[in-house]
Amino acid sequence: MKKPLLVSFLLLTLVLGACGGGSLEGEEVTITGALIGVEQDLFRAAFDSFTEETGIIVSYTGSDNFEQEIQIQMESGDTPDFALWPQPGAVVDAAKRGYLIPMADLDIDVDDYKNNYSSYLVGLGEVDGVVYGGAASVNLKSLVWYQPEEFAARGYSVPETWDEMIALADQIVADGMNPFCFGMYSNGASGWLATDWMEDIMLRTGSGTDSYDKWVTNELAFTDPIVKNAATLLSQIMHTENYVVGGTDAIVSTFFGNAQDPMFSKDANGNPGCFMHRQASFITAFWPEGENQFAGSKTTVFPFPVIDASLPKAALGAGDMWGAFNDRDATKAVAEYMLSVGFFDSIAASPDNSRLSAHASYPAANYNSDLYKEFGQIVSDALSANAFRFDASDLMPPEVGAGSFWKEMMNLAVEGPGYVDTALDNIQKSWP
Amino acid sequence: MRYYKLVVMKEKTQRQKLLNFGISTLSLGIFPLIWFLSQAILFRELTELISRNWLVVVGIIIGSTFIFLLFYGMNFFISLADRDSRESLEAKMFVGPSIFMIGLFLFYPALRTIYLSFQDRYGTSYNGFDNYMWAFSDPEMLVTIRNQIIWLVFVVTFVLIIGLVVGWLSDRLNKGEAFFKSVVFLPMAISAVGASAIFKFIYEYRPPPLTQIGIINGIRVSVDREGYVCANNKIIEGVNRVVGDENCLPPIGWLQQRDMSNLPFVQNLDLDNWFNSIIVNIPINTILLMVIMIWMFTGFAAVVFSAGIKAIPNEIMEAGQIDGASELRVFTSIIIPYIKSTIVVVGTYMVVTVLKAFDIIYVGTRGDLETNLLAVKMLDEFSKYRNIGRSATVAVLIFVCVFPIIWFTIKRERETIS
Repeated sequence: MKKPLLVSFLLLTLVLGACGGGSLEGEEVTITGALIGVEQDLFRAAFDSFTEETGIIVSYTGSDNFEQEIQIQMESGDTPDFALWPQPGAVVDAAKRGYLIPMADLDIDVDDYKNNYSSYLVGLGEVDGVVYGGAASVNLKSLVWYQPEEFAARGYSVPETWDEMIALADQIVADGMNPFCFGMYSNGASGWLATDWMEDIMLRTGSGTDSYDKWVTNELAFTDPIVKNAATLLSQIMHTENYVVGGTDAIVSTFFGNAQDPMFSKDANGNPGCFMHRQASFITAFWPEGENQFAGSKTTVFPFPVIDASLPKAALGAGDMWGAFNDRDATKAVAEYMLSVGFFDSIAASPDNSRLSAHASYPAANYNSDLYKEFGQIVSDALSANAFRFDASDLMPPEVGAGSFWKEMMNLAVEGPGYVDTALDNIQKSWP
Repeated sequence: MRYYKLVVMKEKTQRQKLLNFGISTLSLGIFPLIWFLSQAILFRELTELISRNWLVVVGIIIGSTFIFLLFYGMNFFISLADRDSRESLEAKMFVGPSIFMIGLFLFYPALRTIYLSFQDRYGTSYNGFDNYMWAFSDPEMLVTIRNQIIWLVFVVTFVLIIGLVVGWLSDRLNKGEAFFKSVVFLPMAISAVGASAIFKFIYEYRPPPLTQIGIINGIRVSVDREGYVCANNKIIEGVNRVVGDENCLPPIGWLQQRDMSNLPFVQNLDLDNWFNSIIVNIPINTILLMVIMIWMFTGFAAVVFSAGIKAIPNEIMEAGQIDGASELRVFTSIIIPYIKSTIVVVGTYMVVTVLKAFDIIYVGTRGDLETNLLAVKMLDEFSKYRNIGRSATVAVLIFVCVFPIIWFTIKRERETIS
């Protein structure tokens, strides 16, 4: 009774085992990452046509705790074929520790890759001149959300410069309303919204991308006048009376995903709680129910205002980057596919998509909605002009970028404009 | 003659002892070691040679026979020993593997963690006591240690006191005691993550024009002030009473308050007074997070105490009452001394639980705004700041705090046995 069962089991595994040899047909490539939910489904679906063509089975597993898990997997040597990190800093970190395979060894033409994805993006995954990271997708942060109807009804016009924005804010306050929505509470990451503001301001002041790049490596210290000026401008938004709905209490206490809600609700006089909300492209997912179908019409964006008109129009974003743990032939094939223009087509076509291709010449027309076509255009323009910059706090050492910078921005919000110097001093001191 | 016999016996035992020692090292030490190593080497080679699917099959076949052969082999060596010592060796044979497994998965990681706590952020080079210097000088770390002490003192004290009172009172109920106790015990049935999520909704904050969904802020913004009607975005007598009205109280982000400065009564205090300056600096968010744990564990403590109180002989209680002792006197002089050991057990359990407290902070605030505890800090250092050395240091700190309690418990256990 037992013997035939065992024999058939052995036969089955023999057959399964035999399939594993030979061509790339049936080879499995594993990817782990932090994309979950809808984004996970979209990412998986992006490999459907690839699997049909080559027979390579790509299995992606997303996890909430990806960053912890991959640390443990790297330590123990039990890695997947690829890891898709939410920020390039982690790729560099893994590469420095010798876990990743250089792109050149994956038969990727590095020069082509740099042309397609801009040398700045590629440079984010570089260690000592060797490229390790594969740029995947980006999001766009230099956006201010507003409702055109509310603006039109009160005769407000969309501000193009910082001064215009401040003038508009003052007018809104004079009309008895609050111009800004601002909430930066985020479990364990509270303060990142203020660091985003700082980065957007940094890109548009001083010497623009130059001083920004120096700031990221701390060549330009946090105590530098350029940084201080940026923090002062941010403090102007945070601390000018009635600028932010709910005041500094609301800035510190409001979950970033709820921050825009006052814009969608009316007070006793029929006025919205706020008029402007500076937030990244992905925020539509957090809007009150039913509102995100009107993204791009009822609620739409204007680019973060220009501060110094002599600087090129910059765009701030963040995004993910992958690294490969081995150079099997199947891994090489997948790496090549992930860097091709077509990789993003099925993702871009989906109405649920909230990411943008990092390919500089990705056709913006491929995106599903007008809003994303606009985003795609802004991103590829900025990439081509080499004025796209990555979220600085993601690039700084984690003690600063995920530690003191966030924390001191929270303190700045609580303590008021007089705290600017102390905050910047403290951040500078914590730089390892 | 008698003397001679004794010597022979002694000689025999010594030879036997030697033989037994040899057999036990062979059967419990050398044989399992060689067996384990050969397995490990075999599988290391196999992973390179055969495909994954085959490896699974081979693993199942070899793995399952492995344990059988291990015990068979050990039993064979033990059977070489003489009859008297065989029994104890057989017992050791069954204890041995579990000790080995605990060693592999508990002692080895513990030693490795201590080793790593003297290493740099990648765990690759020695950096002396730097991590420990950091642990006791970094401002964030000091706040974490402060919070851990506050948690230890207040959570343990409140759980014990409230648990005792509730346990004692429930014991005095004539009717419905079982029902009352099961209701009080209920929070224990919820996972800490669930409880934290529930309380997070209670403390929830929305920026002012929005309707408050958290019950505390909901009540707060609905309190009428000096004849002025306030409400949580409700139309009362034709007037829309909105949140954020200047005449009403504003909502407060409770879990984001690290001191009392946002409460109206504190704003009028004279801060030069030392007592007032302490009041102002009470960390509201830490207290509100502690409430979650107290809420969860009070019922457990109450049920355990009530069982202890039930075990007190009626004669003693009656004797006390006849002697004219008041209820309070009975409580302090009879009940507490009688269930002292229960209090110690619950107290020890609570201390260890608080030292390991993780879920509440992780779900509640994730350590933001000075609410962190050591267990979450350990994870933060590992995954957020990617610093293996410091993470290990925090782990060692937790271990050092738990260790005296374990030692104390073992000692007490021994005393009860002997």
